[in-house]
Amino acid sequence: MAGREILVFDTGPLSHFARQSWLGVLKAVVGERQALIPDVVVDELSQGAQQDSRLQQVLDADWIERRSLVTDEEVAAFARFSALLVTGSRNLGEAGVLALAAVTGGVAVVDDGAARRAADANRVAKRPTLALLCEAIRSDLLTVKLVSAIADDLMATQYRLPFDSGGFAAWARDQGLA
Amino acid sequence: MGIRSSEAIGRRIKQAREDAGRTQESLAQSVHLDRSALAKIETGTRKISALELARIAENLAVRLEWFVADAPPALVSRRNTREPGAPSPTMDALAERVAREVEFVQVHDETLRYQQTPEALRRPTTRAEVETAAGLARELLGVDPAEPVTHLSRRVARTGLLAFSIDLGADAADGCAVLLAHGGVAIVNGHLRVGRRRLTLAHELGHYLFADAFALDWQVTGSEPASSREGKIDHFARCLLLSEDALTRAWADHRRDERPLRASAVLTASRFRVDMSTLARRLSELDLVSNGEAGDVRRLQTTRADIVDLDLVVSDELEAPELARPYVEAVLRLYRQEIVSEARALDLLFDTWNEVDLPERPSLPQEAIWSFVS
Repeated sequence: MAGREILVFDTGPLSHFARQSWLGVLKAVVGERQALIPDVVVDELSQGAQQDSRLQQVLDADWIERRSLVTDEEVAAFARFSALLVTGSRNLGEAGVLALAAVTGGVAVVDDGAARRAADANRVAKRPTLALLCEAIRSDLLTVKLVSAIADDLMATQYRLPFDSGGFAAWARDQGLA
Repeated sequence: MGIRSSEAIGRRIKQAREDAGRTQESLAQSVHLDRSALAKIETGTRKISALELARIAENLAVRLEWFVADAPPALVSRRNTREPGAPSPTMDALAERVAREVEFVQVHDETLRYQQTPEALRRPTTRAEVETAAGLARELLGVDPAEPVTHLSRRVARTGLLAFSIDLGADAADGCAVLLAHGGVAIVNGHLRVGRRRLTLAHELGHYLFADAFALDWQVTGSEPASSREGKIDHFARCLLLSEDALTRAWADHRRDERPLRASAVLTASRFRVDMSTLARRLSELDLVSNGEAGDVRRLQTTRADIVDLDLVVSDELEAPELARPYVEAVLRLYRQEIVSEARALDLLFDTWNEVDLPERPSLPQEAIWSFVS
């Protein structure tokens, strides 16, 4: 396993891909890298799948490996991130992703500002969903047009970037990504 | 937050479960565990997963990191005038929560961490020393000796004491205080009326400034208040809110105008924002009234008609829920800087705020898009 880059996924990013039926695309983007989800994300996905059956595909995907956070180090890391992000059951997935990325030396795929900030403060590598979508565009797996709505939504709500509707597509065109 | 062994986490879970009055069967069932699995977790013979810990924490309404963190600072005082010495688990639980959250915010916010904490005042042993200590405290609070102490909760923050007023109902204690490594926390039961809320905070300020070890208020004896440790703190609280200088002058003015005792007392209590019992006691202490008059004042109640007839200003000081201003400011800083999530910020504000109450976080510059696409 040494040397293989690890991507640790949160419920949000996986849900975006699953709802668009893009899990195959995500698998291709992940490529040789290892895809992990912590037990708290498995739990969130299981609950989500009861409302939206498309999320079941994530749980059924054999290339997404599940990990329980059980060692003292893992539980301590989970508690450290929970203190910054979690209330009740909200944001448990993010705290689990950051903890698993911290102990495995993996990359946390998170979008929320506080989760990204917590990653930086704890020297955990991070990648936003939009970067994975751009990887898919560059690999000709998706088009700018297809990801435009999700990208706009992520930019407005999670990243707080000052782009209007259609802003990502316009930016991508300017950059020659389209 | 250091790394705790499974055994230490298990002990804390057991303690929290027992504090909540829950059996192993009941908790295990709620969090989808076998009773035997929970028993093993509690003794540290079975490791607990993050998911299980999260479920247990939510079920017991305890923050999950507390199972992994150090024990919180102990109470230095708990005041319960209605039932002296009686335990008050709701007050103690709130004090623990507030102390832990303030310490958490202090870790991430320098301004709250480096609030000025004064040198501890020498514990007074005589009545004269109590008066002197109250005078020093008034200086620390920035109050003119000839004026009433207004905005007490804001003023005590100047000493590093953070005051929180939460309605815990009639059965809970009046208040309590916790000394922290940086400053301290005072909790006031917001169920009390304004005069009693202020008196309680003044009392807890005394414990804080004298840096007391834990003291319960059952030592208060009605007949010999000044002879007991808590009695002296009560005396300190009265001196603080009703300085000899200010009260003597105010009372003399009323009497010179030949106002009836009732009107004099109602106006004075309103101006100094104290309850009648405290005013009566202080007037008596300063020999401004006879014993009989003190009794009359004690039995008085300010009515709605008084508020109209005497043009009183009704104070809402420490009206529940009130959170210490420097603490709220610090939480908002953590929120703005995205050090804590929105959900966590609301939790740190003890659910007294809604999402719409939080400030808007600023947008990033357009060029920041590069950090999200590569």
